[in-house]
Amino acid sequence: MSSAAIETKRKRTAFGLTIPTGLFVGTFCVLPLLVLFSYSFFQVDFVAIIREPTLDNYNRILHSGTYMGLIVKALVYGIGIAFLCCVIAFPLALFIAKRVTVYKSALLTLLLIPLYTGDLIRIFAWRVVLGAEGVLNSLLQWMGIIHEPLWFLLFSPFATVVVLTYNYLPFMVFPLWASIEALDDSYIEAAMDLGSRNLGVFFKVILPLSGPGLVAGFLMVFVLVVGDYLTPQLIGGSSGVTVTSAIHDMFGAAFDWPTGSALAWVLLACMTAFVAIALYTFYRSPWGRGIRGGRR
Amino acid sequence: MNTKRWSFLRGYAFLVYGFIYLPIMLMGLFSVNSSDLIAFPLTKFTLHWYSEILHDSRILKGLITTMSVAVPVTLITTVFGSTAALVLTRYSFRLKPLFAALLILPFFVPKLIFAIAQVTFLNDVGIDKGLITVWISQSLIILPFVTIIIASVLYKIDKSLEEAAEDLGARPWLTFRRVTLPLMKNGIMAGAFISFVLSNAEYTVSFFTSGRIQPLSVLVASDFRFHLSPSLNALAMLIVLFNILIIIASEWVRRKKVEQ
Repeated sequence: MSSAAIETKRKRTAFGLTIPTGLFVGTFCVLPLLVLFSYSFFQVDFVAIIREPTLDNYNRILHSGTYMGLIVKALVYGIGIAFLCCVIAFPLALFIAKRVTVYKSALLTLLLIPLYTGDLIRIFAWRVVLGAEGVLNSLLQWMGIIHEPLWFLLFSPFATVVVLTYNYLPFMVFPLWASIEALDDSYIEAAMDLGSRNLGVFFKVILPLSGPGLVAGFLMVFVLVVGDYLTPQLIGGSSGVTVTSAIHDMFGAAFDWPTGSALAWVLLACMTAFVAIALYTFYRSPWGRGIRGGRR
Repeated sequence: MNTKRWSFLRGYAFLVYGFIYLPIMLMGLFSVNSSDLIAFPLTKFTLHWYSEILHDSRILKGLITTMSVAVPVTLITTVFGSTAALVLTRYSFRLKPLFAALLILPFFVPKLIFAIAQVTFLNDVGIDKGLITVWISQSLIILPFVTIIIASVLYKIDKSLEEAAEDLGARPWLTFRRVTLPLMKNGIMAGAFISFVLSNAEYTVSFFTSGRIQPLSVLVASDFRFHLSPSLNALAMLIVLFNILIIIASEWVRRKKVEQ
């Protein structure tokens, strides 16, 4: 075949490989989201949905302190947990990337196991540990350290933070590990030869050069925490009312699909805005130099 | 950096892994403890809770439903994931970023919002909830993971092998069948294993799209919610052990060097 013929054939193959997957995701993910969007302009009357477009739902949500408060709460949790995960994951990722040789793949696999085991079982295990009559309380009482069970362990913001961090830590470790692994050791050596101390090397060399991994991990954890509704509900107790659980109620007992849809779309818009701003800021910052391709 | 600093990091790594495995290990410990209460002090060793759960016909029925979801989902995601991974690593065209964004979309959208979108869509199109709707919705959620796993293997394969085949006159299909496919085989297997595990574990989306059929995760969710019991510990432990086996197998084939 001539090279032009091969080129045409390649293009056709790329097309043939792209279209089925594109159609699948387009039909069963994008289309349903658009249907959901259309519902956000409808109204509900007892048990029927009135399909007359109106902006009332958005108006009500944007002017309601409760709903906006829940959205802000979700974003704050997302940013906070993502930050916590960064702090916990960084030393671990550094250790796995630069110190471990033989057991590297074993350590990485060990991180994947709880991740793939599913939210339900992870949450169940934590309830076993943290409950008022659970493992931790009974252990402390048995050992005589406390006399009354510590109620704040379960069904509290504290428990929610612990379990959310636990759930999404691997999503932070993996991208961080990948960018630190790719970091050339000679940069570190050069900095040390030039008289930089440990902390100097960390803040001036390692941290800036692992920027892409840091941002990728941060945004993944952020997105997952904002969207998590099982953990706050099952672990957080009365503090566990979140914007997602509010949406869930509107699609369950409350039967108010239109308000639920509008709330879902306001949340999606806020998430997208945050991710877009974060990516843009990173891209423009000195840390993003690597992905800008050397341009300043 | 000096040795002292590294030994500090090693201790730290141990701590983090301890944090990660503590809940699961305690769950395992209490699944073989004879007391009804999940609390210290420990009583006697028993396998009673395991036999109780294995003789529960409701659990067995749920397990069969789970399998009739997981097998088709594995097939669907492996096929779509392989083609998507090939596109991402082997071709470049103008709309590729859009394609990549489309693939990430089900990961980016919160699971609950994805699930209610499915509910409104099925309602408007007039499709009854059942096995097929769970297949489709789970496949979408799992597809990003499978694609990344297969792409991670394809990314490491030297492209010059395929170019050499083409230079020697092999047509694209022959190159794919004789060079690319054997090289990406491990990635496809690893992706399939993980897809299977993720499908078993999936709850939120299945809950909204399964209708009257109840996979194990949906079936035990209310038990998990409202009461803790040693036999639930045993069930959770069995699922964890099963997952560990499959995940280790998956990571092993993914990292294995292909004989060339």
